[in-house]
Amino acid sequence: MPIMTPGAFAYPGTSLAFKTGGWRTARPVHRWVPAPCHAGCPAGEDPCGYVGLVAEGNIKGAWERLVASNPLPAVTGRVCDHPCESACHRGSYDSPIAIHNVERWLGDEAAREAWEYPLPPLPAGAKTVAVVGAGPGGLSCAYHLRRLGIKATVIDRLPLAGGTLRTALPGYRLPREVLDRELERLMATVSFLPHTSLGRDVALEELLHDYAAVFLAPGRQQPHAWDVDGRVPRDLHAALPLLEEWVAFGKVPEIHSAVVVGGGNSAIDMARVLARTGAKVHLVTHDVRPAPGVPRAVAMKAAPRDIQQAEEEGVVLHLEHAIHHLILRGEKVVGVELVRVKKLARDDGHYEIVPFEGTETVLHVDQVIPAVGQKVAPEGMESLLAARGFFAVDDAGRIPGHDGLFAGGDARVGAWGTVSGAVGDGRRAALAIEAYLSGQPHGLERHPEPIQFSGLNLNYFEHAPRGEEVLLPPDGRVGTAEIAAGLSGQEVALEVARCLSCGTCMACDNCWTVCPDQAVLKMQSPAGMRYLTDYDYCKGCGLCAHECPVGFIAMVEESS
Amino acid sequence: MLRTQQPRFQGLDPGHRACQGCGQALAARLTLEAAGPDILLANATGCLEVFTTAWPESAWRVPYLHSVFANAAAVAAGMEAALKAQGKDVKVIALAGDGGTFDIGFQALSGMLERGHDVLFVCYDNEAYMNTGVQRSGSTPHAASTTTSPAGVARMGKRHLKKDILAIIAAHHIPYAATASVAYPADLRKKVRRALQVAGPSFLQVHSPCPLGWGHGSELSIEIARLAVQTGLFPLIELERGALVGAMPIRQIHPVTDYLKPQSRFRHLFAGDPRAREELAHLQALADHNIEAYGLRGEMPDGLDSEGADTVRRGGLRSA
Repeated sequence: MPIMTPGAFAYPGTSLAFKTGGWRTARPVHRWVPAPCHAGCPAGEDPCGYVGLVAEGNIKGAWERLVASNPLPAVTGRVCDHPCESACHRGSYDSPIAIHNVERWLGDEAAREAWEYPLPPLPAGAKTVAVVGAGPGGLSCAYHLRRLGIKATVIDRLPLAGGTLRTALPGYRLPREVLDRELERLMATVSFLPHTSLGRDVALEELLHDYAAVFLAPGRQQPHAWDVDGRVPRDLHAALPLLEEWVAFGKVPEIHSAVVVGGGNSAIDMARVLARTGAKVHLVTHDVRPAPGVPRAVAMKAAPRDIQQAEEEGVVLHLEHAIHHLILRGEKVVGVELVRVKKLARDDGHYEIVPFEGTETVLHVDQVIPAVGQKVAPEGMESLLAARGFFAVDDAGRIPGHDGLFAGGDARVGAWGTVSGAVGDGRRAALAIEAYLSGQPHGLERHPEPIQFSGLNLNYFEHAPRGEEVLLPPDGRVGTAEIAAGLSGQEVALEVARCLSCGTCMACDNCWTVCPDQAVLKMQSPAGMRYLTDYDYCKGCGLCAHECPVGFIAMVEESS
Repeated sequence: MLRTQQPRFQGLDPGHRACQGCGQALAARLTLEAAGPDILLANATGCLEVFTTAWPESAWRVPYLHSVFANAAAVAAGMEAALKAQGKDVKVIALAGDGGTFDIGFQALSGMLERGHDVLFVCYDNEAYMNTGVQRSGSTPHAASTTTSPAGVARMGKRHLKKDILAIIAAHHIPYAATASVAYPADLRKKVRRALQVAGPSFLQVHSPCPLGWGHGSELSIEIARLAVQTGLFPLIELERGALVGAMPIRQIHPVTDYLKPQSRFRHLFAGDPRAREELAHLQALADHNIEAYGLRGEMPDGLDSEGADTVRRGGLRSA
């Protein structure tokens, strides 16, 4: 008779001989479901994945996971309007994870540690693709091509890479040194031809001849023409050139009072820059404040936090207003007549701006600065631009009817108009270019539906406050001093511990704990699947699936 | 092989014949994890004994003695006395269902407690005689339908109240008595360890849903047990020498209907007639009484009871 020490493992005489798995009518299976933050990210990031790696203490792994989709985390962590956080299920529980600050911290850590972008070796005979425009869209495409084993040459009319990030984003939102640190390491992965303008220094036909394919990401550089009933003041400045002037030289022409027209990021930044120079600034927009439930078409395009900070800095908002008349003395503005408007949905789903008679008011200002958007500067690409002045592309960034030509970023029809949107365009185009170069058909990226809030079991979580970063007080916001301080490493650690890990196993041991049949076995290996279901004994009761806090386990019917 | 390398003591092996989603099997597994391996078991006749000991196999990995229905406590007391006589310091646990505790085994239990044996008595409370076909017991809650307290024209299920066994046990002035639930494994394991630490008799009543007898899906066993706690119908409390020393606060108090509705043993309470409404109100009053009597609204220093409430953390960090 075998001698068993207490607690020793042995088979003789135990019920292990009786396989209860045959009772099962449904089996638990592990099933990854995308988190809502992943589905909500225009750049294609999976925050749930890298937040989890940070929580495990694998900081470099988290950064590598992050830059597998977005090579500019220190930038987007600061300037993105983070739709991931609007989608975050934790928002329905208490408040969303501060994903942008985790992203920002990872980007800053990578710069501090000088981590190199993980890239495979280039295969012999790798082809080279030309990328026009060194903004976020072009750089993202070039970087993702390099990740796919394809060389990229980026051309830009300016001496330095960065595009709009460098020319029009004020330092109080994105400090130059942060941009430089990130771009320095990114530019080491691609080749760059500065001072090279399409149409002036090189023709599109030459690029198509010399390179295997061409990706166009010139951005929007040319302000839309603007007038009120055909009248334009003689000393009219558009916002973008003024903003670029301030970003480059720290100065703008002296303006005592101004009204900025528009509700996007350029309008808000223009207003804030003028407020910094001591001007009295009004901002007039047709739109309302962005908020959950407000349709995208009627909400200001600027991020809520930037709108709020502009107000703190003294910018006066006139939401749902329009300029009805310019009050001119000679050809100079001395005031504007405002009128209340509303964007009303028509039957066909489009919105119409309706002014309301009898609501006119007058503002005394000495400048009107339109910030109503830009279009693509067409030099060298005239034949490709559709009627509205943008590239018409398919979901993969291909320009129909032009083999080997791809486009994305702000220059395409229906652009996101954000850095992360451009980064996502660049990545999708890189995948399409790879397919084009290898002659493979290109299937479009398809995301399965993200997990529902009701798919989580919240009984296993606790409420915890969101980590809020310190902001400069409004009277301390001078020049380009960065306003948001971000989170410290310790604060990030607390923040990532709040993640509900929607749809992704977080190795919490709950399935292992609740199985009445010890049919869930824990694996020792740190990588890969952490739990194994022993189908010899699993009776298919469904407790592990029902109690899984993150919705990672599904019950599927046994076939026979 | 993976099964031999699990980082916990496996006292109850798979291959046992418990139904899918059995609360009692889970409760026994969790108890042994916290207690084993140096323990001896005495188990009264009942589901647990039947489904773990199909000849010639046993699901138990510790010395195990099957007693008759009525005398698990007496057998455990004898085992403890024998070990003491041999000078061995090994703990003895008696296992019984609610029938073997509240009713049939009660005199033996009372005697064991009165004589002060160093035994932990664990009652797996599934609120009826499930092994013999769902007959009412002293533990069956008020208004539950069983085969011997059927709901119908004459009665709305069980006429009497659930016996307050913990108060009776506490009246024996024993060092430690507590209630626990399979919905809160960390709390359950913590209480098993605490009970085994004290010298002298201790008692644990573990609320263990029976999908078959209660009439709910096997995947809902933990959900139902949790709702019993969150409604206030099954308070998780600790008594030392009869005095209340701990109560798990309820983070979000649910109405009793949340607990009753998924179970077919309470189906007749949702017929919408005046009798049903009165019984629902009665059960809600019982829950409200518990919440008040045991202070379950989170007035304790740790209003969340983060230790007991089974918060999970990445990487399996749990409080117990």
